[in-house]
Amino acid sequence: MSDEDSRRRGTWHVDEDDLRAYARGGLAAPALWSADAHLTACAHCRGVLAEVSDAAALEAGWERLDAELDAPRPGWFEGLLVRCGVGDGTARLLAATPVLRRSWLGAVVAVLLMTFAVALTAGAADKPALFLAVAPLLPLAGVALAYGPALDPTYEMTVVSPTHGFRLLMIRTVAVLAVALGVNGLATFALPGYGLRALAWLLPGLALTATGLALTPRLGPVLAPSVVAGTWVAVLLAADAARAAEDGPLAPFTAAGQGVSGVVAVLGAGLLFLFRDRFDVFARGAA
Amino acid sequence: MNHPTVSASGLSLHYGRTRALDDVSLRLTPGVTGLLGPNGAGKTTLLRVLATAVPADRGAFTVLGHDPGTASGRQEVRRRLGYLPQTPGFHPDFTAFEFVDYVAILKELTDRGARHREVRRVLEEVDLADVRGRRIKKLSGGMRQRVALAAALVGDPGFLVLDEPTVGLDPEQRMRFRELVAGAGEGRTVLLSTHQTEDVAMLCHRVVVMAAGAVRFDGTPAELTARAAGRVWSSTERDAGAKAGWRTGTGSFRNVGDPPAGAELADPTLEDGYLLALDGADAEVSA
Repeated sequence: MSDEDSRRRGTWHVDEDDLRAYARGGLAAPALWSADAHLTACAHCRGVLAEVSDAAALEAGWERLDAELDAPRPGWFEGLLVRCGVGDGTARLLAATPVLRRSWLGAVVAVLLMTFAVALTAGAADKPALFLAVAPLLPLAGVALAYGPALDPTYEMTVVSPTHGFRLLMIRTVAVLAVALGVNGLATFALPGYGLRALAWLLPGLALTATGLALTPRLGPVLAPSVVAGTWVAVLLAADAARAAEDGPLAPFTAAGQGVSGVVAVLGAGLLFLFRDRFDVFARGAA
Repeated sequence: MNHPTVSASGLSLHYGRTRALDDVSLRLTPGVTGLLGPNGAGKTTLLRVLATAVPADRGAFTVLGHDPGTASGRQEVRRRLGYLPQTPGFHPDFTAFEFVDYVAILKELTDRGARHREVRRVLEEVDLADVRGRRIKKLSGGMRQRVALAAALVGDPGFLVLDEPTVGLDPEQRMRFRELVAGAGEGRTVLLSTHQTEDVAMLCHRVVVMAAGAVRFDGTPAELTARAAGRVWSSTERDAGAKAGWRTGTGSFRNVGDPPAGAELADPTLEDGYLLALDGADAEVSA
């Protein structure tokens, strides 16, 4: 019986040499496609395939297939990170960071929109003081909310894992800062009339975030960012009271003020590094 | 005597003015050791110290020969540790597989294929292979507890710390969980915190009784039971001189303490020995 006759009558079988090549993974298309389709319908050929296949390799293949089917389907964000070159494990860790969830991002966007609304309705479109005052608090809040026993349900298991707590903190901090600074940055572009002044939130934002994290081992994950945020508000109020001209910028947003913010950011980062091992055990007040 | 997996001496810890651990010394060998004690006895604190989550104020200990007092020693201990906290937290939108995979990443299993094979292995070990793709928020309490146990078993740890894993489970789930813990205790050292003497009677080769942050008894379950020999008696009325007494199903009272002359002595149980060990006057540590 010719192959053509066999195909027409549905009684053809895949050549045994082709099945051996198929088992080795060496059968090329289009013969591969033909064999694939035929094997799903032909018990005889599946039997021959089983005989010519290496049992151990077949078992390993099934295991690999099972493992692949079980493997978590990465979400769009996780998939995007992997495509951008972030390691599979790090991407998964980032995907589990609460602050990166849509609701958190939504909250950040909502705060910014509210800031614009307040600034615009107050007739202060040419005075970015309110925006500049609120924007540095967002990365501080975002980082504070991304780590710690209150918001991370797996905190206790995470602390006793061999992954150093400081490394995990830094992974999450970078992720949060990327989102928060990105949102703030977009808001800055939406205010072209402010010019470079609209970027004056950046250094204070980094200073507040670094200081808040550096104080966390001492004051705890709630009190530390609260104290830093309170201090920032107090500084702004004091600067407002001491402002020489009503139209002039607040001291933190002048060149000198930016310099101070830069120094504080560097000092905060240094302290944070110095205290890095404190993030490797339970946070103060969590035990 | 087996070489100890854990060797601790003089562990003390204070939270403010509260003495959570008071000069605790113990040695743990392979098999399941039960840690019995009432609420507030210091069981969870001791487990957190031994799991390297919280550093002790005083004292020292080693796990599998590593000193967690140093950063590198702590990491080595954590690589050999499995920890199931009292209230394990989950990312509820994760599937069982995703959650265990997440913990496996924290445990430094970076190779994706090897990690997924390990996740499948531990989920099969706790009999959850069939629900591995189900979201954790849709699992029963018993299943969630088994997911947490699977996470603790990732990496085949030599020292497994389980903090009251049977709390909140119904009798059938509790029995199933005990079977799993018994299996997990083969070839590794398990420290099981519980306030249920049944857990100890069914699982443990050794029992440590704690009260007020201190070890009140350290020995075998048979030795703990034997401490109550001749100190348990029945009566028709509650005996005012008994250290503890309660009405049984037959209507008579079971009393524990120093029996009066002519008392009708009863066979002691593990629970009787436990109640006597909790009494400060009976504090004793045997080898």
